Amino acid sequence: MDTESPPTSLRIAVLQQYPVNGRAVKHLAEAAYAWLEANKQTVNALNVFPVPDGDTGTNMVLTMKSAIEELNKVHENEAGEMLAALAQGALMGARGNSGVILSQLWRGFARSVEGKESLNSQDLAQAFVTARDTAYKGVVRPVEGTILTVAKDMAAAAESAASEGISPIPLLRRVSQAAKDSVQRTPELLPILKQAGVVDSGGKGLALLMEGMLRWVEGHQLHTAETIAQPIAAMNLEAATESVEEGQDYEVVVDFRPHTELDLPRFYSDLEKMGTSIQVGEGQDMYRMHIHVPADKRNEPLDYIETIGNWTNVKMENLMSQMDEIRSKVSKQPPKVAMVQPDEIAVVTVAAGAGITRHFAELGAAAIVEGGQTMNPSTADLLASLENLPTDKVIILPNNKNIIMTANAAAELTVKKAVVVPTTSIPEGFAAMLRHNPKGDLEAVANEMKDGLAEVQTGEITTATRDVEIDGVKVKVGQIIGLHNDKMVIAADDVEKACLKLLKQMKANEYEAITIFYGEDVHAEQAAEITDSIREAYPEKVVDVHEGGQPHYQFILSVE
Amino acid sequence: MATDQVPHGSIHIAPRAIATIAYQAAVESYGVVGLASKNVFDGLTNFIVKDPTHGIEVRYEGEAISIDLYVVVEYGTNIKAVADSVASTVRFHVEKAIGLPILEVNVHVQGLRMSNAE
Repeated sequence: MDTESPPTSLRIAVLQQYPVNGRAVKHLAEAAYAWLEANKQTVNALNVFPVPDGDTGTNMVLTMKSAIEELNKVHENEAGEMLAALAQGALMGARGNSGVILSQLWRGFARSVEGKESLNSQDLAQAFVTARDTAYKGVVRPVEGTILTVAKDMAAAAESAASEGISPIPLLRRVSQAAKDSVQRTPELLPILKQAGVVDSGGKGLALLMEGMLRWVEGHQLHTAETIAQPIAAMNLEAATESVEEGQDYEVVVDFRPHTELDLPRFYSDLEKMGTSIQVGEGQDMYRMHIHVPADKRNEPLDYIETIGNWTNVKMENLMSQMDEIRSKVSKQPPKVAMVQPDEIAVVTVAAGAGITRHFAELGAAAIVEGGQTMNPSTADLLASLENLPTDKVIILPNNKNIIMTANAAAELTVKKAVVVPTTSIPEGFAAMLRHNPKGDLEAVANEMKDGLAEVQTGEITTATRDVEIDGVKVKVGQIIGLHNDKMVIAADDVEKACLKLLKQMKANEYEAITIFYGEDVHAEQAAEITDSIREAYPEKVVDVHEGGQPHYQFILSVE
Repeated sequence: MATDQVPHGSIHIAPRAIATIAYQAAVESYGVVGLASKNVFDGLTNFIVKDPTHGIEVRYEGEAISIDLYVVVEYGTNIKAVADSVASTVRFHVEKAIGLPILEVNVHVQGLRMSNAE
């Protein structure tokens, strides 16, 4: 773009004097797009809602990209036609809420200048006003403190500048300043922004488009964002987690102290080579960085930080497995796995089902590998998750007898000190977790966990997949069977009877508590009914029911 | 039923309550200029409705909650983008309010409104 532009001084002189013609419209629009693209991550980081608009910056950039593509098809040097093409492209490429509003702004702007070869200040002011009106018409109940408010303040600034007889470029400068000021005021108008400590993202995007135009006029670069670090409290990492881009599978957050003063633009550009969703927060004498990176680059951010300073805290999460859980029907919140300090003991556990996974996370597991009866994880899966942890002391809970071998292999292969506590079921896994002490001695903690296994009895309810007779129990395909500590002990015609028979077999009346995890194919209502009959049968026991979400087993019963 | 187990009993949320939340979210969603009666035979007089039970249909299928929105969209906007946006806004607000997951939000664009900016 710069190669075909006249020298800066000439450019300013020309633009200051003359109305904005088609060619100028094209340059200004391209500059607006380039500057927004350069600042995309800043805008993305402003999201407060985890859902409605995904990444505002990305959405607005994609909308502008489509607009520019359409603009490039126009060859006449006519402002009206250029803007009509721009509006058409924005409409076709509109993404997300902010993109739709942006396309409406362009549509109004273009309609106002239809047929005009070039635009004087009056034309521009009228165009900003029509843009505002068109945008406001697209919603029943406009929310103030958003991009709409910024568009309104821009129109007001354009009108007042035009009435003073100011020429086009100074008018745009006024409009740009009004947009910036308006963005700063958005938290006053919209409480949710204030709570999150951010300004409105769509409004910020719009202000950046205007700023980009002026930067082009003034000959500033348009490719690298002017970066600043935000206060740590203003970082919105949860929102960043909600919007994961394809291929950016790991979230890495590092707290660090740089050896020398941090060169922010360089820091950002180095991070941009590794991943996306970059945020940098500044606290007292320390910084926090956040980034999403592909799996093969997950260790790069930490390696890089080590070259420029000392890190104090590292958090890494596999976003893909989290996203799967967000999508699965049971989970409302992704489980927050425990943050492990470098000298602590971390627990890696194998689990299937969102409820059970969440339960493990709540009990303090540092990493959860998906797997179970019908889906055994590989040694590589286990290795990868334990290698990722910022500590070298790890306990592995396989939670299934078929996975113990795999876990042992992973423990042998890793350079870390890893101990397998041979849990053969989910209840045993929980029993072990309850005895976890991250600050203890690795062997001692592992032994403590092993001791805990004897205290819990595991019952599993599932459907027989073939006719069989084992230890005198005859089963037909499709019947419900009950396993006590992995041995088939009962068969029944329905799930409720199976649960009661199994509990009897497990001698539940000799224990204190019964915990029930119902699987992905069981409705909460059905689980509640069965829980009621279990409570009736064991009125003196503590009976707890949880949504396990596990596949394969309708119920997992734990008796202790 | 939209039922949640709590320590003291259970909470039941009527479809109409969910429809009201969905309505509020829909009318604040950009590009949606009204909710439309889902039945064309209701006639044009009540094409755009203000009653949250018209234009929004909430269904319970076992545990799952489905919401159908019958909307009127501003002419000249990207209809797909508007529909995507209203669906995610409604889902977000309803899930946040009732704390239960929504199985699906279907958007039916019943018409477009042309408003002249000039």
